[in-house]
Amino acid sequence: MIVRTGGRRARARDAAVKARSWRVAAIAVAASAGVLAFVGAVVIVAGVYNVAASVEHLYVTDRLIEFTLHRSISVRSASIEAPSLEDDDLVRLGAEHFSSGCAPCHGNPDRPQNPIVARMYPAPPPLQNAVSDWAVEELFWIVKHGIKFTGMPAWPGEGRDDEVWAVVAYLRQLEVSPADDPRHLREREQASGDLPLAALGEPDVESCARCHGGEGSPPISDRVPVLHGQNARYLDRALHEYRDGTRASGIMAPVAAGLAPGEIDYFARYYSSLTSTASGTSKAASGDVQYGREIAERGIPADGIPPCLVCHSGRASAAFPALAGLSATYLNGQLDLWRRGLRDRTTYGAIMAPIARRLAPEQIDAVTTYLSILARSEGSAESVRQGAIGDD
Amino acid sequence: MTSNRRYFVSLLVVAAILPASACDHVQSALAPRGEEAIAIDVLFWTVTITSVTVTVLVTGLTVVALWGPERWRVQLSQERAIYGGGLLLPVVVLSILLIWALFILEAGASRTRTAGEPAVTITGKQWWWKVAYRTADGREIISANELRLPVGEATAIALKTDDVIHSFWAPQLAGKLDMIPGRTNVIVLEPTEPGVSRGQCAEYCGGAHALMAFHVVAMAKADYEAWLAREAVPARVPTTEKQRAGQRVFLENGCGACHTIRGTDADGTIGPDLTHVGSRLSLAAATLPNDEQAFARWITNNQHIKPDNLMPPFKQFAPEELTAVASYLDSLE
Repeated sequence: MIVRTGGRRARARDAAVKARSWRVAAIAVAASAGVLAFVGAVVIVAGVYNVAASVEHLYVTDRLIEFTLHRSISVRSASIEAPSLEDDDLVRLGAEHFSSGCAPCHGNPDRPQNPIVARMYPAPPPLQNAVSDWAVEELFWIVKHGIKFTGMPAWPGEGRDDEVWAVVAYLRQLEVSPADDPRHLREREQASGDLPLAALGEPDVESCARCHGGEGSPPISDRVPVLHGQNARYLDRALHEYRDGTRASGIMAPVAAGLAPGEIDYFARYYSSLTSTASGTSKAASGDVQYGREIAERGIPADGIPPCLVCHSGRASAAFPALAGLSATYLNGQLDLWRRGLRDRTTYGAIMAPIARRLAPEQIDAVTTYLSILARSEGSAESVRQGAIGDD
Repeated sequence: MTSNRRYFVSLLVVAAILPASACDHVQSALAPRGEEAIAIDVLFWTVTITSVTVTVLVTGLTVVALWGPERWRVQLSQERAIYGGGLLLPVVVLSILLIWALFILEAGASRTRTAGEPAVTITGKQWWWKVAYRTADGREIISANELRLPVGEATAIALKTDDVIHSFWAPQLAGKLDMIPGRTNVIVLEPTEPGVSRGQCAEYCGGAHALMAFHVVAMAKADYEAWLAREAVPARVPTTEKQRAGQRVFLENGCGACHTIRGTDADGTIGPDLTHVGSRLSLAAATLPNDEQAFARWITNNQHIKPDNLMPPFKQFAPEELTAVASYLDSLE
């Protein structure tokens, strides 16, 4: 109004007033920022803020952190698609890894949390009700990525989402039917039956046998490879690769990292000396057996696919694994890792990588089915010939 | 100024190098050593000389038309000159050239008919050549990346491909002929003198196309037959301890899944047949020399030498294993 009626001079005066008020506001903001920075510096330098785990956050801080946490996890897990988790093999594998990888901090249903861990801040929550607190996709995200400033680590095996889902499947099972906890079932079986492993006065194979089985017992899951009768030199190499991190697995890496060289050698020879009791059947074994046999024995030259058994049988170096009798689920899973570029960092893995990428899905189904029903004795290098050139 | 001069200098350098590089002749169509290439050479020079003559003639007439004496210019502007020089002369010259070319190149592929059944089949692969010789008694002898031919005899060669389009070109012996999926083309080669020349895939066939070459060895008929008889026998048995160790390394590391060495368990067909690999002039389709170091380099590092070729890198060997297997392969003559 004033501008309209007051003419040019009034307009100029008004502009000056406006500029002055902006300047005042800017100075006020700068001054308060300065004061805040100064107070903050004093608080930090004088050690006023208490980082003690024994002292809880302020209520406001707590709510803010919790809100941030939930929003972050919810948004970042939005694009994840869960596979089917109703799979006993997945649950059993997850359960065993939970025992060694998660339970030390989170406790388990029948063992209270370690009092030392309980004084962490934030304390690792018990996971019996994890599924009612979080969606399975969110649990997957948490297990895979970990959470900053909480002590929750990220998954150590790069690209091994399949292993992360095993843990999530187990957490889900815990909530859905706690009585079927596979760990309980196994403990009951072991309490009733004799456990030949305990008789060994050598390095304790219990940590291997929990998943891979031992003398007279098969692996606990289709997803876990049968090691019985496997080439010792291959097993030795695989454990070293897990330990170096060149072969990725969040389940095997922590186990292998804790092994001394002598123990690696011992376990490799131990499993190599066992006879397989695995049934050889497998849920994933649904391919065309005849076609699989042709691929394994003669390859498909037109597609650049060499015959598997030239390397993976008694004719070749013991540094190659024997594939006969491994479950189709396991073989499929490993070929999938190669096809996704996750298993080519090792010397031997680099040989298999281009070949795995040439296989079509129906060829993979056929050949893994055939190999899974092939008897192990037909495939172990050391059962046919002692050692390889490097061992001579 | 400077950039102009630099451009001029580099042009001079290129002009100096071009003829120099053609001087070693192993892959030059201008140094023909086969009946087909000689015909092409004759045709090339006929057409080139005719073209130069016509160009000089036209340029001369243009100069005359612009600056020539009055009398000549009047002659040139007559209709007679237009019909004669513009219509009649080209028709006559081009017709003679056409007939000459059809005659020289034996149009109608009569040579393919007279040369008989193909005695050799070459199959193009990314990025090497599988070479199969058919012996008199009907056996097929597989080799790779090298073609041996008898001098003075027309040999028909079937050209096939296992993957994409390649083109077989041995410039000293003949022109190019494509290898087309689902089709068998036949080329006839007849070397006129013994000697080694080089050929090259002449149709872009993927990343390592430039590294898909081969050697052609023309031999006197008797030498050729002796060579083919040697090629037909199984691989030489290793004689030294090192070679025996090399053979064990070869067989135990799965090499036989893709390569054949006749006389051993190795019977793969995905990669080149190695039965007599030590006697070839080169490795990896005329990419590497044929010696122990080159074998070792290829085994461990082939993806850098020829990216995306089908062979995986084999880096698991201890140094003594690698030299042993290289020495074994080199001994397969």
